[in-house]
Amino acid sequence: MVSAATVAPAAPQSLSLPPPQFARLQPHAYLLAHLSPPVASNQPSARANGRAPSQFRVTSANSGSLTHTNGSGMVRLGDTTAVCGVRAELLHTEDIPSWSVSQSSNANKRRRLADSIKLSGQSGDHEETEAEVEEDRAHIEDLNLLVPNLSLSTGCAPGFLPGAPPAALTQALSHKILSLLHSTRLVRAEDLRVWYQPPNLGPEELERHNDEEHMDVDADEAESKPAEIKAFWVLYIDIMIISLAGNPFDAAWMSVLTALRDTKLPKAWWDVDNETILCSDSIAESRKLSLRGLPIPSSFGVFEADAAAGWRAVVIPDGEKLKAEEKKGTVQKWILADPDGYEEGLSQERACIIVDKEQNGKTVIVSMEKHGGWTVDTEDLRQLVDISARRWDEMKQIMDQC
Amino acid sequence: MVGPTASLSTLNRADGSASYKCPATGYDVLGAVNGPIELPARRDALKPEDATVEVFVKPGNTTAGVGERYVEGILRSVLGKVILGRERGFPRRGVVITLAIVGGDAVERGDSYLTILPALLHTSLLALLSAAVPLSMTFSATLLGVTKSGEIMPDLSAADAKTAVSRHVLAFSSKNHLLLNESEGRFDFNTWEQVRERALSICQELTMPGSDGDVAMGDESDGSKVDGFVRETVEDRLRRDYTWKIDS
Repeated sequence: MVSAATVAPAAPQSLSLPPPQFARLQPHAYLLAHLSPPVASNQPSARANGRAPSQFRVTSANSGSLTHTNGSGMVRLGDTTAVCGVRAELLHTEDIPSWSVSQSSNANKRRRLADSIKLSGQSGDHEETEAEVEEDRAHIEDLNLLVPNLSLSTGCAPGFLPGAPPAALTQALSHKILSLLHSTRLVRAEDLRVWYQPPNLGPEELERHNDEEHMDVDADEAESKPAEIKAFWVLYIDIMIISLAGNPFDAAWMSVLTALRDTKLPKAWWDVDNETILCSDSIAESRKLSLRGLPIPSSFGVFEADAAAGWRAVVIPDGEKLKAEEKKGTVQKWILADPDGYEEGLSQERACIIVDKEQNGKTVIVSMEKHGGWTVDTEDLRQLVDISARRWDEMKQIMDQC
Repeated sequence: MVGPTASLSTLNRADGSASYKCPATGYDVLGAVNGPIELPARRDALKPEDATVEVFVKPGNTTAGVGERYVEGILRSVLGKVILGRERGFPRRGVVITLAIVGGDAVERGDSYLTILPALLHTSLLALLSAAVPLSMTFSATLLGVTKSGEIMPDLSAADAKTAVSRHVLAFSSKNHLLLNESEGRFDFNTWEQVRERALSICQELTMPGSDGDVAMGDESDGSKVDGFVRETVEDRLRRDYTWKIDS
């Protein structure tokens, strides 16, 4: 009674429920009342959780918390928490069924490639040729070197029972993360390759070569025998959402980013005598992955004022008319950044924009999705891209600190 | 360019069905719609005043996996908004849409599903029309790619889509709302605006109904009038169904 009186002092008898109960019984009206407070009350328009519409929740990131993994990350987005661990395992090329076939068919290309990589070193800033891009894609995608899996059955939210088979949302998120890892080409295939340089066995082998080749024997040892790939690192990326309060994708993807930035692969080499791959124990010899860019996601939900009012089918205005009405302010909608669980239940239309920034500060959109409604169009999306770009700066700082 | 081909009510047992073939990507999709039907254990659905929309996608060569779950989610959110689930007889019941990918390249693990999304959307729309499920609007979708030189390519094949710098699927309603946008690759907002304009002109009904109810055919008969295509398919079917009446 007391709290109701503070919310609406003008009409205390009409609202005789405490706010939490009102929120449960009439969620739509509750959020609407927060977003469009009566003019007389002089309150600013804010969401039920106190945030401004384009405000994200407090985000924190931590890396390297799991000691048994090659890299790990924990990202907290308000009450949504995702933990990600990356475990690397070796895939021997002799275990890949079609490896020798595909290897011999483009051995020459591969050899040139190996040389060019050696020349350019680890900088990775050189312009990639189309063949390199294709090779990179073929290795990572066709050999499935990245295996992300997301788990929601951790007791993170009442809707997901622990121990139950993966829900549709879980599977959709796993797929989205994998497809984003592929389309952004985040991980370089070169980082995952274990090379072996066969030694030059001296003159008896050179006898088979032509005379011209004899000329440049001492020129370059690498020229005589191409380096070969003996194994690949496969990255198993496991994500656990340990607490879910809306927006699982942003938290999951950012935990993947943090974990991959933290991942160290041990130095591995082909041991000829044992005919196997050996790894070094020393941390000093291990190396980090060099990722391509830093794609940061921002998810949005659209809350419409009249969604509950139309019990029967509403007449939907034309696209042009809708725009005109929006200008007049008769159609009311709010685009809520980083929706929490309560808001997600009230918004059907979703947008997710993933942006990256180049060295010169230019914003590049890596992925832009919106579905589930018809109110968001060009102008709104332009604003959302700007918001996402600002979010990128913010997240870059947070990630660099951890 | 050859336009897509489609036929309605190809299956006898389903409430509504459609088959759709897209020549550019080579995908052949068969869709069936059942609704409104009683769903088991949906009595206490989250939204009792609305119909539950269920979408199942079945790939041609394997069982459905995580990728299908993802695309089902997108389709459900688009169609759930278009279907008038509050009409008489629909609340608390279900509309079940089953889409089988009959022909075309297999979608591999981790692929983005963008190339097949327009075909799935068109098939489900035609099947819904065939099942006479009340809809608030029809829609049409298209796939566009942007090449390295910044050129926008319509009618992408699966191979073209792999080489394109960015790929975009846009769906517009019959009233020109942007219903769906799925873009991936690297692009900036100005490029996307151009893509949107191009997609809108492809999706828009270029065949404007004349004053006498006839369809005035323009010169733009290049197969790019997707929305007109939906209308034509339905008209063809109706003409066939009502031949007994028209002839008499």
